Amino acid sequence: MGFLGTGAGLAPHFPSPPDSPDVFDVITEEAAVCPPVGRALHVAPLVQEGDRVSQGGAVACLRHSPEIKFVAPIAGHVASIVLLPGRHLSEIVIYREDGDAVERHDTELAHSVAGLRRLMQSAGVWQWVRRRPFGGMPSADETPAAIVVMATDTRPGAPDPRHALDGREEDLSLGLAALARLTDGPVMVCAQGDRSPSWPALPNGRARLAVRGRRHPQGSAGICIHHLCPAGIEAPVWDLHAEDTAALGALLRTGMLPMTRLVRIAGAALIEGHSVRTHPGADLRQLTRRIVAPGQHVLMSGSPLDGHVARWLAPRHRQITVMPRAPARPGRHWLVAALDTSTRGAPAIPTAALTQALGAALPAAPFIRALGAGDEETAMRLGILSLLEEDLALADYVLSEGGHLKAQLRAMLDRIQAEFAP
Amino acid sequence: MIRGLWNRETVALLLLAAYLPLALFWLRHGGTEALARLGLAVLVVAIWHLVFMLARAQAPSLSALITALAIAMLAPEGLGVFRMTLGISFGVVMGELVFGGWGRNVVNPATVSLSFLGFGFPAFAWPGFDDPVAWAAIPAALIGMATGIMPAALLAGAAVVGAAASLAGLLPEPVLLAAGVALVLLLADPVTSATTALGRWLNGALYGALVVLFSAGWTGAAPVQVAVAAALLASLAAPLLDDAALALWIAARKRRHGRT
Repeated sequence: MGFLGTGAGLAPHFPSPPDSPDVFDVITEEAAVCPPVGRALHVAPLVQEGDRVSQGGAVACLRHSPEIKFVAPIAGHVASIVLLPGRHLSEIVIYREDGDAVERHDTELAHSVAGLRRLMQSAGVWQWVRRRPFGGMPSADETPAAIVVMATDTRPGAPDPRHALDGREEDLSLGLAALARLTDGPVMVCAQGDRSPSWPALPNGRARLAVRGRRHPQGSAGICIHHLCPAGIEAPVWDLHAEDTAALGALLRTGMLPMTRLVRIAGAALIEGHSVRTHPGADLRQLTRRIVAPGQHVLMSGSPLDGHVARWLAPRHRQITVMPRAPARPGRHWLVAALDTSTRGAPAIPTAALTQALGAALPAAPFIRALGAGDEETAMRLGILSLLEEDLALADYVLSEGGHLKAQLRAMLDRIQAEFAP
Repeated sequence: MIRGLWNRETVALLLLAAYLPLALFWLRHGGTEALARLGLAVLVVAIWHLVFMLARAQAPSLSALITALAIAMLAPEGLGVFRMTLGISFGVVMGELVFGGWGRNVVNPATVSLSFLGFGFPAFAWPGFDDPVAWAAIPAALIGMATGIMPAALLAGAAVVGAAASLAGLLPEPVLLAAGVALVLLLADPVTSATTALGRWLNGALYGALVVLFSAGWTGAAPVQVAVAAALLASLAAPLLDDAALALWIAARKRRHGRT
């Protein structure tokens, strides 16, 4: 417990069996290219069903900025392309084939800043970057006011990014140097200070280390950004995971984008927990096949707090949660239902639990009240532009809101975007 | 969907648990009469919660018991059933339920009830507290602070001012005891007190200062009357103090980051 907010936060506990010590590399038999969570994207497919693709080969691009490409996480052939009405990407499923065809990119491009952007966009790194305010990947020509690299993750059951970065210090330095060229502002590396002091020396004066605590939500990107360099409508802030930064460094060094990342499988419906090195869009069913306990279960991509039920691992997620399926509750008497629920729901009571659920980073009760009342201007003054749903996931869970808080935040961000954004 | 614990009813239950020492000591010293007052208050508050559930689909809350306890402990004595019912109804309906129930109100319904009864029927005597009852406010405050449901900064702010005034000889002992009970019962409500850290310190300090001012300058006022009046004014000032604290916080962030 520290002072001045460094010890703020909570340590929510979700039961999970102990982890097996081995970390395997797993390339699943099927994989899918999915859009990042939350945003509908108009895409134009670049391949047809049945085409062969190499790992890292482009399979689709954004319809309105074709330089941003979605790439295949594994080598194989395209099994199906599912687009929703309006050419919104749903999923592009790829069946694995033997062979190690890997797409090579021309790293000579990256000598100029524009070339670096083009390389990131065509190699598939771009969709691992997320911008704030409003979330989603940045537009092709956006210049951020700051970039935050997350080398800490405090979500319950998250893998430790330090393990993922073991032996990749050189790539990380290259990646950080490349990120520093994309912005005129600072590049912040958020890491836990209490595990090992041997954090690799940062490459240049632009990158700064920010020490974060170990309780959630101190390792949540939005809370870090709110603390270090708040995002504004005219001042977007990007965030990127440290492992993806190292992947960017490896892309610049070798011309090939490494797809595997450290993913932790945890949850109460498992026989034993696992950490695996796998790729985005991995098939959750295959990854959990022999370790799930008998009985009904739910497979979620992401943490128990902010994950969603899914078949494929979402692009930025590094956690798989397997929860027992809750039995359907029998219908209740109308009077009992009236006593504990109503159409408007009960308001949040400002307690210490609420303050800590937001990491004591902002005045919690006025912020939650502004959200509930739809008061955009107060919420913007209190820092809503730095936050996304995942940053409020802990508060939503702690207050037992069942997703209302996240929905209120998203609705308010959408309104702000419609009213204030250029 | 997994859910946590800290919804409105959990907080109300924890507040009830915190008030338990106070309530038990008060009932033990007050006997049957105290029990009858508490019963009447609970009945009236519960009926109004039920009316608002049926008429406005507003979920009732266990905070009704907290309101009833505060009114029963602090209301003037010998009012009779009719006046008590009138006062409680006014406070609970106009102070809490018309705003949408506990959590959306701006003043504590018990404070409104007590002020109404005090100003409406000034001929009736205010209650006094035996020492053990008043001392039981300390464990109540400790439980509240340990579980995080009572604002610790507010209690600390009031305690600092109270201690300073006692050392200076400005606070007679009966006023100190009554002010302590009213602080825990009326002002430490997490909903209607200030919500920012600085606002809470100021809110508590303001309450303490008002108690000192009234006890020195309000001739003929009973100790509980002084405490209730101070609690009403302090809780009315809470939004203002919060706004000031937020303005300072936002200005500091603007200075540091150039934007909020």
